[in-house]
Amino acid sequence: MNPYFITANDFDAFVTKMSKDKKVIGPKAKKQKFVFGEIKSADHLRLDYDVTILPPKKVFTPTCQTLVTFDGDKFEGNVDNDGVILFGVHFYDIRGIDITDLLFRENNRDVNYLAKREASTIVGSNIQNVSKRSFWGSIGTSDSGPKGHDAFLTKMDGGYVLECLTQKGEDLVKFGNWSKASAAQVSEAEKINKDVMDKCSQKLSHSSSEIAEKVRNSFDNQELWSNLAEDCFSCGSCNTVCPTCYCFDVQDKWNLNQVSGMRNRYWDSCLTEDFAKVSLGAGSEENFRETRGERFRHRIMRKATYLNEKLGTPACVGCGRCSAACTADIADPVNVINKIMEV
Amino acid sequence: MSKPKVAFFDFTCCEGCQIELTNFGDTNFLELLNHIDIVEFREAMTETSDHIDIAFIEGSFSREEDRKRLEKIRERAGVVIAYGACAVTGGINALKNDRPDYKQCVYGKDAEMPHLDSQIARPISDAIKVDFEVSGCPMDKYEFLDIVSHLLHGKTPVVPNYPVCVECKRNEQICRFDEGDYCLGMIAKAGCGAKCPADGIPCEACRGFIDSPNEAALKKVLMERGNMSEKWAEKKTKMFTANLRSDAKTLGV
Ligand code: SF4
Ligand code: SF4
Ligand code: SF4
Ligand code: SF4
Ligand code: SF4
Repeated sequence: MNPYFITANDFDAFVTKMSKDKKVIGPKAKKQKFVFGEIKSADHLRLDYDVTILPPKKVFTPTCQTLVTFDGDKFEGNVDNDGVILFGVHFYDIRGIDITDLLFRENNRDVNYLAKREASTIVGSNIQNVSKRSFWGSIGTSDSGPKGHDAFLTKMDGGYVLECLTQKGEDLVKFGNWSKASAAQVSEAEKINKDVMDKCSQKLSHSSSEIAEKVRNSFDNQELWSNLAEDCFSCGSCNTVCPTCYCFDVQDKWNLNQVSGMRNRYWDSCLTEDFAKVSLGAGSEENFRETRGERFRHRIMRKATYLNEKLGTPACVGCGRCSAACTADIADPVNVINKIMEV
Repeated sequence: MSKPKVAFFDFTCCEGCQIELTNFGDTNFLELLNHIDIVEFREAMTETSDHIDIAFIEGSFSREEDRKRLEKIRERAGVVIAYGACAVTGGINALKNDRPDYKQCVYGKDAEMPHLDSQIARPISDAIKVDFEVSGCPMDKYEFLDIVSHLLHGKTPVVPNYPVCVECKRNEQICRFDEGDYCLGMIAKAGCGAKCPADGIPCEACRGFIDSPNEAALKKVLMERGNMSEKWAEKKTKMFTANLRSDAKTLGV
């Protein structure tokens, strides 16, 4: 597969042509923030975004997704096979998608996620602006780079380099005036993506394995967790905005005729009070993470240790979304983990 | 199966929730009417029918005289559903609960007229057992429908006990705090679809609190990030949730 170059002048025409032909989802402005949304022409696309409010996994597993529709005794599965071009994804979000790919593939294949995911094309892009709360520069090791994308776009003086990694990536080249990139352009792109890695203002001060060990060993330190969670609202915003959270809740909705309806799934949050509440039958119930501290601990365990072996990396990609979304400002993994490391 | 007999009653309130109900417009409301039999509607009928399958009650319990009427409804009804903030939590009526001078504030020179006498405003559940609740000021007509449809199917409605922030974030809204505003979404019970932040205004917790609201943290965040004075941050949740706060007034105190 090949690297290509396009001039800044020709780039807009490429985006517009591609978006005429295919459904393109990319970063767009929402007031002073950014969201992934449909790109219908080049001027919608904001590749200078720092981070989006929600991660791009919402394209493959929407916040509310209908799984089945029913009408009396008849029911029909609802699988969305329509591929899209997910364009302009930062590397940490591709890593997030790598993680959800693995989790939705293992054991029971989750077709409601995988059908659209596998039909889609993902194009990464370099980070032009670093978000204030991000710390992706200090997560993981060099072998935990992004994998699931089909092409990667890097903006440089005078134009863009597009590194195609799969046939799906190559297929995009026909939409624009791309030419073979020179060796100098390719190494310039590499340098740009390498240099940005130490631009985050926040850093974890230990390696992933040191963190994993220490966090796990802190499990029984009740005082630590209840102090960390003292101001927690159990609002779950730290989960809802996280690219690697994948829990969902399934609920039925009846239509007004009381005969037909649908079965939906919604993004769920382990920080909310009822998340771990289970029925014991006969009207009694048990909440196996009853306190704020236990729920707060669970998220940190999930992000820093529990999944590391399975994923080969921590289940946190350092996007900093949770830090920014937490109204009490207690969710920031950098603050939390650095504090745990000091105990 | 014959259609369930349904009746509507109202107590201390503005009747806004009844209006919300009729806002269903033609098709939706009429479709619901195919499945129920309305035997009493305060606006249109008198209290006559003996047995009621479902009694919908709007408004707060704010006068001791009303207890008898409520008990009578309870005796006749299979299921009692309180709908609207006033009925579910006391709602905005409970603003007066720690203002002994409320009558002077509202009625001025007429304050001493005997028919204006009332006690503190409390939820309907302070007088009688309530089986289900439809929160909100006004209540959400779609949630109302959802709850009714569950009951018609002999199922228990699922009402979220998580905060409005969950729905707000699912909507990918910009947080009010990031706009230099304040918000109570962190302690407010979801189910409304986080309407207010979606319209660019703060959530005022009209649906009431989640089971375990972090009141201390709310005060702190309202001061630190919502730029409120300590006094204002402390009182903020008295608008809709005075009866749910840890310092709520109870009857007979
Ligand atoms: S835990 Fe926070 S920083 Fe880490 S991936 Fe999730 S949202 Fe991003
Ligand atoms: S840590 Fe913050 S964002 Fe997460 S549930 Fe607690 S208050 Fe909400
Ligand atoms: S709940 Fe709100 S809208 Fe409904 S009656 Fe009470 S004040 Fe009016
Ligand atoms: S705007 Fe309000 S409801 Fe929405 S996330 Fe912020 S605090 Fe929560
Ligand atoms: S956002 Fe808050 S104030 Fe608005 S309807 Fe929902 S609960 Fe009520």
